[in-house]
Amino acid sequence: MYTLLSGLYRQLTQREEYFVIIVGLDNAGKTTLLERIKALFNGVQGLRPDQIGPTVGLNVGKVDIGGSRLNFWDLGGQRDLQSIWEKYYSDCHALVFVVDSTDRSRIEEVKTTLDHVIHNESIEGVPVLMLANKQDLPDALKLHEIQQIFNQIAVSLEARDSKTLAVSALKGDGVREAIDWLHLRLQRNREMRPPVFRN
Amino acid sequence: MGAVFSSLFARLWGSKDVRILILGLDGAGKTTILYRMQIGEVVTTIPTIGFNVETVTYKNIKFQVWDLGGQTSIRPYWRCYYANTDAVIYVIDSADRDRISTSKEELMAMLEEEELRDAALLVFANKQDLDGAMSVTEVSEFLGLTALKMRTWTIFKCSAKTGEGLTEGLDWLVNVVQGGKK
Repeated sequence: MYTLLSGLYRQLTQREEYFVIIVGLDNAGKTTLLERIKALFNGVQGLRPDQIGPTVGLNVGKVDIGGSRLNFWDLGGQRDLQSIWEKYYSDCHALVFVVDSTDRSRIEEVKTTLDHVIHNESIEGVPVLMLANKQDLPDALKLHEIQQIFNQIAVSLEARDSKTLAVSALKGDGVREAIDWLHLRLQRNREMRPPVFRN
Repeated sequence: MGAVFSSLFARLWGSKDVRILILGLDGAGKTTILYRMQIGEVVTTIPTIGFNVETVTYKNIKFQVWDLGGQTSIRPYWRCYYANTDAVIYVIDSADRDRISTSKEELMAMLEEEELRDAALLVFANKQDLDGAMSVTEVSEFLGLTALKMRTWTIFKCSAKTGEGLTEGLDWLVNVVQGGKK
């Protein structure tokens, strides 16, 4: 009886946790996005964009949605730091790739970086969300333009869930939709990558 | 230099007390960093249990420094200082390749403390002015920082002797501590 009850109690109180890795080139707006997510879902003020410098290392953000907790890993995007990313692949449940839609000169670099990331073995089977950031700026590439780039690479993802969404981390536009997409995909993919349970 | 730091820390004034630990092996340069900040008088105290703790209190911010490593018998008492810590500054002597693995062990053991679960980590790869100093990439690899999955962390190179790099690191720290406030 005790075992039954304690098992039931554990089931009711334990929370499923997912890990989402946020990568992309430097200055794509990854940390601004994380701060925006924290502000939207946790009601904290978060850092002002002018307080955010280049990330060297890791920023962690926790958000509770429904019965699950989403832990975000925002990693530095500078070239020297990209080797750190793969240390986090095997433990992550979803990948977010942030693109600076205004930086046309680095689109080729975006392609090669993304291609490299999503073909890493340890990230196989994980949903991929590409975010066309900085849509608040007038010279930003349109969503369909970023989609085209992404689709060329995404064909090789086969059955994996993937999507491109337009956001402005700065203004907050599209961020909630992006997280909702992630939340749903994380749950759909739980056979492939089961959540971590914590009490 | 002191003015730079006082304006930096001014952003942390207000609502609550902030507690920051500056830790590392002996000789890493922790006290030099504390002096560099020039934000108050460094007070050295020896608690009854017998280790040196240096403290600087600046407005509502309290910095506390002691050496990690050695003296296993007094370690349980360190815990008394861990509670309510907002951030840990971990200082590395980047020129000391012999002891970097000890430094790693000390860091990882410390971070397992329940009380430090939510503390952000700033690593200073100090003594960059010395020949043969390890780069930040080397230091972060030797320390195994990428194994940290639930903690906000960063690493900056610096020279406490020349003051180089300190502002950048502390600026990050202030932002993170401030961002964590409601």
